[in-house]
Amino acid sequence: MIALDGVAIGVAQRTLVSDIEAHIEPGEFVAVLGPNGVGKTTLLRAICGMRPVLHGAIALDGTPLRALSPNARARAIAFVTSDDAMIETLRVRDVVAIGRYPHHPWWEWRENADDDAAIERALRAVHLVAEAQRLFTTLSSGERQRVWIAMGLAQDTPVLLLDEPTSHLDVRVAHEILALLRALAREGRTVLCVLHDLNDAAAYADRLMLLGCERMLAFDVADRVLAPALIERAYGIAVSRVETPDGPRVFAAMQT
Amino acid sequence: MVSLRLLGLLLLLALSLLVSLLVGGSTITPDAILRSLLQPGAHDDVTTIVWQLRMPRVVIAAIVGAALAIGGALLQGMLRNPLVDPYLTGVSAGAAAAIAIAVLAGIAAPYLPALGFVAGLLTAVLVAALARRGSGLDSNRLILAGISVSALFSAVITFAIVRSNSLSSAQSILAWLAGSIAGRGWRDLLFALPYLAIGVALALLAVPALDAMRVGDVRARAVGVNVDRAQWIILASTSFLAAAAVALAGMIGFIGLIVPHVARRIVGSSARALLPASALCGAALCALADAVARSIVAPSELPIGVLLAFIGVPAFLYLYLHQERPA
Repeated sequence: MIALDGVAIGVAQRTLVSDIEAHIEPGEFVAVLGPNGVGKTTLLRAICGMRPVLHGAIALDGTPLRALSPNARARAIAFVTSDDAMIETLRVRDVVAIGRYPHHPWWEWRENADDDAAIERALRAVHLVAEAQRLFTTLSSGERQRVWIAMGLAQDTPVLLLDEPTSHLDVRVAHEILALLRALAREGRTVLCVLHDLNDAAAYADRLMLLGCERMLAFDVADRVLAPALIERAYGIAVSRVETPDGPRVFAAMQT
Repeated sequence: MVSLRLLGLLLLLALSLLVSLLVGGSTITPDAILRSLLQPGAHDDVTTIVWQLRMPRVVIAAIVGAALAIGGALLQGMLRNPLVDPYLTGVSAGAAAAIAIAVLAGIAAPYLPALGFVAGLLTAVLVAALARRGSGLDSNRLILAGISVSALFSAVITFAIVRSNSLSSAQSILAWLAGSIAGRGWRDLLFALPYLAIGVALALLAVPALDAMRVGDVRARAVGVNVDRAQWIILASTSFLAAAAVALAGMIGFIGLIVPHVARRIVGSSARALLPASALCGAALCALADAVARSIVAPSELPIGVLLAFIGVPAFLYLYLHQERPA
């Protein structure tokens, strides 16, 4: 379980969000929502220990995050970012294999049978087994995104954090990735994912964490979070809500 | 596949060392050289020439080449920038400036390598201090600091040459800048060996982190790499290797820049293969270049740094302008 107790996050001492109280259960798929610059990515980086919190504490299964070494933390939490990186002469399998780093002491350079199995599982989960030997630079945006997810899966962690995994993707690929994350959560992994599309979040996530106005405005199921007043408060734009057989959906009013 | 290629490079190195041993001022038959190699204890002129003159020179050339190539591969990997070389640490400029001033001050030649080594390391510390951000290093700052500090010390060297009141001191400075292994022996190698060993040990320590850093610092941190620590280790390793190489052979350019590119084409970008491949290629190239430098205008010598620049510039342009293909 991930426990955030009175957490405040920020950049260079400037507080972005404070008083975050949230307990995320194993096997839960949580979508983190909020306007640009609100602190969604900063929150994910704080949860995976890459950025210190300004106040409060984050604990993983009762252990304070600060008590974990970088390696121990990377064996517990994988962080998947979609930032582009200049990667030359790397094949898909090479990239995914980097996810095995925390499972080796520094003097052990060779891949072992566990590594092979984890890499194979990760590639299979994102349907990239056939592309294992392709150069990363020759892949499409959607395929690259799947490679980054596979790298996170190869880390073999109970917790998976993803920063905008569906940005720049077409609707089909975006839904394939969301379905994959949903399936991973069903297998027992905790998935925490920054999303921009409120309706995608409502469709796939168990709970939605809405950040805005320098605080956590809501952390609840879609039915309660997709309230027009709440969304307007977070994003500063009026929305109308429509009930569908799959649950509530919201649509922004056209700006004139 | 990669192991086979590394084996091929090892054979190439053995061949170039042998060729380099066969070349020299005095004409000795290959037979006599091979005999003296098998009987190092013999008391004859050939054995003395082979074991006291040629062998240390060939070994030093190979070690200098390997050290510069490893340093280049480390820095290019850490900064994910194919245009940097180990001299970005400021080591060569600092060493050269100190030696130029020492020559002007009339300090005896035997002290110059040690002085260059210390000044080179101190300059690397200065560059690192300027490049520091938080607990780690900022890549852009490192490049900026390396270039700026090197430019400053180049001005010091030029000033020293202009101010030198004797032709011989200006020539000493220029000879050092041109890079040469002439007159180096086992004693010089013994001085540099501990620092080379430290450099290589630190490089080995950084291999897994360097491999993970190929996908960017953020992702490397996410898989548990202590990126800040890895950066310091890599910078320290490069500085020790470059400073030891500079103390042994003066300014030998282009090996640290080009050889990692060649090695990357042969074995790919994984540090666990790239570092040994760079070391083997660098050693072979430097040993061969020294052999050519010794023989092309015999009995005098061409500075190896100048020769390598003649080979290096076209080779680098060819490699860089043609798109990289992985192994």
